[in-house]
Amino acid sequence: MINMYFASFQDLLTMDGHGIYVWSAVIISLVILVWLLVAPILSRRALLKEVARDILRERARQSSSKKSTNNQGAV
Amino acid sequence: MSWQWFHRLGSPRWFYQTSTRWLPLLALIAAAVLISGLVWGLAIAPADAKQGNSFRIIYIHVPASFLALAGYYIMAIAGAVGLIWKMKLSYMVMKSAAPIGAALTFIALVTGAIWGKPTWGTYWVWDARITSMLILLFLYLGVMALQYAYHSIDAARKAGAILALVGTVNIPIIYKSVDWWYTLHQPATIKFTSAPSMHIDMFLPLLVMIVGFYLFYAVALILHTRSEILRRERKTAWVRELIVPKADTSNAKEAA
Repeated sequence: MINMYFASFQDLLTMDGHGIYVWSAVIISLVILVWLLVAPILSRRALLKEVARDILRERARQSSSKKSTNNQGAV
Repeated sequence: MSWQWFHRLGSPRWFYQTSTRWLPLLALIAAAVLISGLVWGLAIAPADAKQGNSFRIIYIHVPASFLALAGYYIMAIAGAVGLIWKMKLSYMVMKSAAPIGAALTFIALVTGAIWGKPTWGTYWVWDARITSMLILLFLYLGVMALQYAYHSIDAARKAGAILALVGTVNIPIIYKSVDWWYTLHQPATIKFTSAPSMHIDMFLPLLVMIVGFYLFYAVALILHTRSEILRRERKTAWVRELIVPKADTSNAKEAA
């Protein structure tokens, strides 16, 4: 069985007075690491949306211009 | 000898499609290794005889520093491959490696400063190891800034690659700084040439964290590169097909 080094959860937090240093270092690092993963996911998502909008708009324009040429042909 | 694999490796499309398949598994393994290493190091490993519990910062500080240095080599090699073979994907990897390396260097500096307070009595000294790490941060930021400093993408890439390559001179200086100068920073705990100067119960979780950081680095680099690939290749047929499949558009047209 794996045993925790500290006697209690409270001891794990305070770490004999070093808790503030250890935990602040851990939290700052984790925030930065998570941001490293979230940033590209968000920018990719925004880009996908933007490109999809462009493509649909472009196709809408193409199909409407096709219709107008058809109409001209009919006239 | 067939060079097909080499050219395929240089294809952003191939990279994107392959990474789509492998990324979830890799991310899962990275998270599992990091979490178990962190719990082991913070809660289970014994305290240091001299430093007490503050030494536990090592489980973040050392792996982050490792990857800050290894990441610089990855960035510089990617830049060199880009310069030599004009490989687009390679430049994308270089550009993606810069912010990740900068963030890891920042983590190494901040956790080092926090660790310094209870151990040395100060957050910061202009010590050889710490100063050379600060220069590493500026090199990463320089490569990032150069990507936006030119109108031409090609010029930006080349300038970034050259700065990355010139900056590699700093890496051995960082490694050796604790031996060359009289520094406050302790010498390396882990060396390839000798046994670690650390008890096995403290060393094993550190090893797990280093492996975890390598895996994390791979995941982060792939994510950043994928995002960069889409940005650069947004006009190409395969990206357009990926985003709005042909089948969808026929439906859309019918609906319209």
